Formats: sequence, structure tokens, C-alpha cells
Amino acid sequence: MEAILQKDRLGQWVAQLSTRARVFAPAFVDDVWGYGPVETGAEVPLDHGNTTRPPKNFVFPQREVLYRFRVQDRHAPQITPTVPEPEPAVVFGVRPCDGRAMVRNDKVFTCGVVDPYYQARRDKVVFVGLACSAPPSPNCFCQSVGGSPHSEDGLDVLMTELEGRYHVKTLTARGLELLDAARSLFDDAGAADAGEVERAHAAARAYPQRTLASQEQVVDGLKRNFDSPKWAELARACIGCGACTYLCPSCHCFDINDEITGTSPLAGERVRTWDNCQFPDFTMHSSGHNPRDDTGSRLRQRVAHKLLYFVENHGIQQCTGCGRCITHCPVGIDIVRVTHEVAEV
Amino acid sequence: MNANVYLPQLARIAHIKDEVGGARAIKTFRVEFLDGGGFEHECGQCAMISVFGKGESMISIASAPSIKDYKQFSIMRVGRVTAAIHDMQVGDVIGVRGPYGNRFPVADWKGRNLTFIGGGCGLAPIWPVIQTAVANRGDFGNITVFYGGRTSRDILYRAELEKLRGMADVHLSVDSPEEGWEGYCGFVPANIMDKPQSPENAIAITCGPPIMIKYVIGNLSAMGFADEQIYTTIENKMKCGVGKCGRCNVGKDYVCVKGPVYSWAELKGLPQEY
Ligand SMILES: Cc1cc2nc3c(=O)[nH]c(=O)nc-3n(C[C@H](O)[C@H](O)[C@H](O)COP(=O)(O)OP(=O)(O)OC[C@H]3O[C@@H](n4cnc5c(N)ncnc54)[C@H](O)[C@@H]3O)c2cc1C
Ligand code: SF4
Ligand code: FES
Repeated sequence: MEAILQKDRLGQWVAQLSTRARVFAPAFVDDVWGYGPVETGAEVPLDHGNTTRPPKNFVFPQREVLYRFRVQDRHAPQITPTVPEPEPAVVFGVRPCDGRAMVRNDKVFTCGVVDPYYQARRDKVVFVGLACSAPPSPNCFCQSVGGSPHSEDGLDVLMTELEGRYHVKTLTARGLELLDAARSLFDDAGAADAGEVERAHAAARAYPQRTLASQEQVVDGLKRNFDSPKWAELARACIGCGACTYLCPSCHCFDINDEITGTSPLAGERVRTWDNCQFPDFTMHSSGHNPRDDTGSRLRQRVAHKLLYFVENHGIQQCTGCGRCITHCPVGIDIVRVTHEVAEV
Repeated sequence: MNANVYLPQLARIAHIKDEVGGARAIKTFRVEFLDGGGFEHECGQCAMISVFGKGESMISIASAPSIKDYKQFSIMRVGRVTAAIHDMQVGDVIGVRGPYGNRFPVADWKGRNLTFIGGGCGLAPIWPVIQTAVANRGDFGNITVFYGGRTSRDILYRAELEKLRGMADVHLSVDSPEEGWEGYCGFVPANIMDKPQSPENAIAITCGPPIMIKYVIGNLSAMGFADEQIYTTIENKMKCGVGKCGRCNVGKDYVCVKGPVYSWAELKGLPQEY
């Protein structure tokens, strides 16, 4: 369903939604642009570039307790699962690249064996997307990886900014519920609105973006040049900080460790935390043997996972072209450039 | 099967056997599930072992699938979790989740000659296959087992290996000459060259330190074994066991799901990141 929301009614819509869910929007939290709860009555800041932190946290938090354990008696440890029961959440301002990343995350966490922690969170979150009217970052390349500034994949609602108003399109039943919750705030979308949306989308597509060679070219090129010496050359400056993968909307690797909360009796939590293929420890065996023991092989892992292995496993690229890993790499390692140089495309 | 894939079942350590001493000691743990729990497994599969407060480790299930009352794990002391389980006693309770990974295609090997080549802790993953083969002795041709330890004190399942004689040709080795040692002296790959195996209607299964596997495979190829006739297992660091955490990713494969058992033909198609 498509409708029109006057900009000055956005606050009312959010207030309406706040009665049934926690509402989040882009916010400057802990000195970084990410997402934060919207206070009732406050402005909903939708006129920003994309967030630095992707919305991945809503479904796959950086730290998640899998269960608690307590060992009062060595012969009978007690385990209490902590599958979350989150409050319903509505997230505003999600950019299309990050929406598309959710589709990738769903494939990892819910295809085959279902991850109950991810699923519990995913079931309770609704993503209200915001079409980009201009590339939000100089490193965007969404259009070369199958996306667009107004892609609908993975979103429940897509908002497009027009003069003085938003065009609001619901994409799923859960998205429709958000509209139904406040029908009276919305006007019907007419033919003129449709034309304006079309023009806004076309204008956004026409903005110059960085480009990555086609999926087929990249797959072929990476296969052909898998053992290229250029990986090592291009990765030489990598300091293994992990910014590239922590800020990636579709990186999903995690570690599992025990954190002790009490010693008599022994009590603690089994915790999963984001992990990072750019860390040397990631693959290092206890014996010291390390299958990916140099920055070149680790860069290859990151790039090939996004643009080759994921395609082989799921038929789509995992990278959605948000450009965060390029923007935030302290030494300027650039996935587009690396791919082009190695794959010779 | 537990719906929450990360929750272990509780299992009691029923028996502990010291196999190998020293800094990298190996002990075999027999565990019995509590509360009627447990799961079936197949040859080559692994399980995630939990010591609460320390963490988890992926360990091969070393008992034969036909054994339903308990599962056995042979664990080398190398770090936090493995040290903690080494320090446990009979009666202590650990967590076990699984089974994970693929299996050796034992059913496809009926009628064929089987040559097992193991080194160090690498006898554990192939032990269920050896047990299954000798328990169904008539289903297979010749069964040959090569196994080597650094010294005679480093030989895993020593007594069980001796018992295999009669059902299988057993060739044990130690790395360097030792007083009283009657078997072969030298590395495992050299031992198999000393007793060449015919590739005719044969399957070779090898497991052990990466360097041993490398030379064993080279030697098997030199004997005429085709890549499809050679099987091994690979050990990548693992956290989830269910293809989500990304730790064990090699090429397009998550080893915890697609592996750890590979034919050499399959393994050649993966990047050498194991
Ligand atoms: C398929 C498979 C089958 C296996 N079968 C067997 C078997 O039958 N028998 C056997 O003995 N072993 C087996 N292993 C190897 C076994 O899993 C490891 O030896 C074991 O996990 C080591 O754990 P640890 O806690 O003792 O070592 P540690 O090195 O202490 O590691 C414990 C955990 O702590 C963390 N950690 C500690 N140090 C570091 C570090 N420097 N960097 C990053 N993280 C760190 C990691 O999360 C790590 O997983 C197998 C492995 C695989 C993958
Ligand atoms: S952000 Fe750059 S320096 Fe940091 S790990 Fe990634 S590639 Fe290496
Ligand atoms: S162990 Fe997590 S993906 Fe294989």
C-alpha cells in the first residue's frame, strides 16, 4: 500500500507507534552515528548520511548471552538459556543497502539450522527504510552489487522524501500494520505523487557512484587470480583493527566464550561476541599453526567471502555496497580497488 | 535434537584413561548422558565439549556409532578447555552438543581394502571407522592400520591396537630407534613406503598432524592411489559447529558442516587454508 505522510506528521506517527513498540532512528550514540531510541515528541532525524554503525545490532548484537550456567555441584551444573524476548521495535531511517544486508543475514542465521537468538530478535523488529536521494557516502557502490538507492529488499516499509512530505510504501504485512496503526495521519497517494517518486528515484540513481565490475566478472576474476601475489601487496598496510568487518552490515562471524560472574559457586555466562576474520587469532590453532597467517590471506578471505563464496553458496553477493569498510579503514584498503586489481577486471 | 543449537546436553564422565603423558598428554574420556539424553552419530562426526567456566572445544567422537550407551573422546591437553577437562574426575559433568560435520562414507566402501594411516591424536577421528570395519569384518577386504607416535609412550590406544592384530595388519612406528621397540622406526609416511599398499580396489584414510598428512598423501599418490581413493579430515578452529560463526570457513565450505571428512579430490578444490 502506498500513502503520503506530511513531514510535520512524522512525529505523530512515531508517537502513535511508540505506544506499541520501541522506536529507533539514526542517532549520535557514544560518539558514533548509529541508532538510538526516539524520545516521544522529539524530532526524528532522517536528514543525515547513512549511519556509521549499521542496524545489524538489532538482530545480531555485538554481545549476546547464550545461556547462564551455575555449578553448585560438580555433578549437576545448571543451565538457563537466555533466548531474548525483545520488545517489538520499529527502526526508522534504514538505508536500502542495510536492508539488503538483512536478507544476507537471514540466509546465514535462519536457513537450515535456525539460530534461535537471531530469530527471536528478527521476529520483533520492523525496518522502515529511507530511500537515498543522493549517495550518502562518497564510497557507495550499491548499484553495482544489485541494489539501488531505493531498493526494497529486506525492508518492511520504504519512505521516499518528496517536497514537504514522504511517500510511504509498505512492503510486508508487518509494514502495513505500522500504517494501519495511524491511518488518519496519512493521505492517499495519487498519480502525481507516483510520478514524483519515480523522478526522485531516477534522480538518485543518476548520481555518480563508484562502480564495481559485474558479479560474473568478479567471480571469474577472483577464481582466476585466487593465488595472486597482489593480495599480499594490497594488504601490506592492514593493521588488523577489524573496523572493516565490525562496521559491515552483513559480516556475521562470532566468537563464543565464557564469562565468569561468580566463583563460589562457579557461575557465569556463555557469550557470543562479534569476531573478525582480519584478526590473526581468528584461525590460529592451539598448536600455533595458522591457516591464514598473513594479512594477504586474511584480506582475500574478507573479499572472497563477500564476492565469491557467498555467491557460490547463495547465488547473491554478500556485499551490498554501503562503502563503510572503505570509508573507515585507517589505512585506506578499498574493497572495490582491491577487487579490481586482484581480479584484473 | 535440541531446538536451541547452542545448548549442550549434560554428560557425566564415566571413565578416564590416561593414554599418553607429558606436556601434551592425551586422555580418553567415556561420557554418559544424563536424563536419558544423547544423540546418534556416524563415523567421522564431532561434538562440541563444554567445560562450564572455560568454554567449548570441538572434539571427534572416537567411539563407534554402534555404541549407544556412551561416547568416547580422546583429548590432547593443549589449552584452556582441554586442560580443564584433563583436570576433571570421574563423576564430573560436562556439556556435549552435536553431532557435527559429515561422515566417512563407510557404507560405500564395502568389499574394498581399507588402509588407515594415523599419527598422534589423529587416530581418534578414524578409530570409529576402524571399529566399524573390524566389527563387520566380512564386509571388507584387507584391513591395514599404520600408526605412529613420537616414542612408544606416545602411542594412543596401544592395547586396543594390539588386539586388532588378527583382524587387521597393524604396523606401528616410533619416530626414532628405542630400546625394546620391535616395530618400525621412522616417520609414518616412510613406514607406508616401506610396506607399499596396492591401490587396487582400495581406500586409504589418513589423519594426523598436517605435515604428516601432506607426506602421506604424496606417498599414496606415488603408489598409484587416485585422489578419490584418499580420505582425510581437516581441523579448522570452530566455535558454533553449525555454519554460522564463520570460524571454520575455507573457500565456500564451512568445515563444521561440509567437513571435516574430505576426499583428497574434494580437498584439492578448496584453498589451502587448513
Ligand atoms: C573437527 C575437529 C576435530 C577435533 N578433534 C579433536 C580430538 O579428537 N581430540 C583433540 O584433542 N582435539 C581435537 N580437535 C582440536 C581441539 O578442538 C582443540 O585442540 C581445542 O579446541 C583447543 O582448545 P583449548 O581451549 O584447549 O585451547 P586454547 O588454545 O586455550 O583455546 C580455547 C579457546 O580460547 C580462545 N583462545 C585461547 N587462546 C586464544 C588465542 N591465542 N587466540 C584466540 N582465541 C584464543 C579461543 O576461543 C579458543 O577456542 C579437533 C578440532 C576440530 C576442528
Ligand atoms: S579496516 Fe583496514 S586496517 Fe583495519 S582490518 Fe580492515 S582492512 Fe585492515
Ligand atoms: S564452526 Fe562456526 S561456522 Fe563452522
